[in-house]
Amino acid sequence: MSVVDIFYQGEHGREIEVAEAALAETLAALKGRLGERHGYTAEVLVFVEDEDEPLSDEITIEVIVERGGKLHFHHCREVEVTVGFAGKRHSRTFAPSATVARVKTWAAEAFNMTAHDAGEHVLQIAGTHDRPSPAAHIGALAGKVCKIAFDLVADERINGAPEEGARR
Amino acid sequence: MSPDEQALRADLRKAAFRLGVADGRWRAGEIVWPFVPIAITARDGRAYGLRFRCDGFPQSPPTAQPWDLEGGRPLPFDRWPRSQGGRLGAVFRPDWKNGTALYLPCDRESIAGHDAWRVQTPSKIWRPVDGLVQYLELVHELLNCRDYAPPLGAAA
Repeated sequence: MSVVDIFYQGEHGREIEVAEAALAETLAALKGRLGERHGYTAEVLVFVEDEDEPLSDEITIEVIVERGGKLHFHHCREVEVTVGFAGKRHSRTFAPSATVARVKTWAAEAFNMTAHDAGEHVLQIAGTHDRPSPAAHIGALAGKVCKIAFDLVADERINGAPEEGARR
Repeated sequence: MSPDEQALRADLRKAAFRLGVADGRWRAGEIVWPFVPIAITARDGRAYGLRFRCDGFPQSPPTAQPWDLEGGRPLPFDRWPRSQGGRLGAVFRPDWKNGTALYLPCDRESIAGHDAWRVQTPSKIWRPVDGLVQYLELVHELLNCRDYAPPLGAAA
């Protein structure tokens, strides 16, 4: 029986987790095991990363692996995301499994940024200095609530005087 | 085994590090304490080696040097990733400590004497709780940004 690693995030916290699962196992069985670990109820929704529709309990791990093998557990069907930049704000909803990278791509388009400018900006959770990884799921950042706000801010520039050195 | 080596080995078993391996973003070589070599994938598929020195981990930040993983030696400068005038070149600097450390606030050798970085670049200061993934994500992002260019003379 083939066993694979399933990476997941969820409303329980920001840490990326991993669980072993058999390819023939159903999502319902995996939910049961992880529910014990994280306190999920039977009503928790499970999404594939960056997909908008929750999965049915009958789907097998094999199918989940074919769709990327990364899951998100959250009781919210959608998370309302607001992004601020240059005194303006845009909002829309995403599935909680949406990555920070996906939200940033949308935000850069919403603010009409060039590709160059988009590359020089990152998402920061509003009111903090917290700049989550592009791989983080917004549901993990939002926790047990169904909304989160970011600011689109310039990436921190690393400045310093050159130092003389030898050539290799 | 020393506590810092135990901590590093535990860090490499964490899901966040393993996810990077599964995604093809990086892969670790054999630990020869206090060093661990890690290859990081650029946007053109090239893998650039870094040799991390990790004594004191995780309380002390690591330091990393571009490394020829096959030859087991410092990576010659003509094989370093190139910048097109942007932020990659601010980090991969052959003129900084003779190329023995990346110019990053989370690097042990580079943060020394740069106290202003704690205010200017707070998100890039070493966070022991996040471990080596913090450093790796910063480098991976640079190797996959628009400023990245392959080494001069590299085969297409």
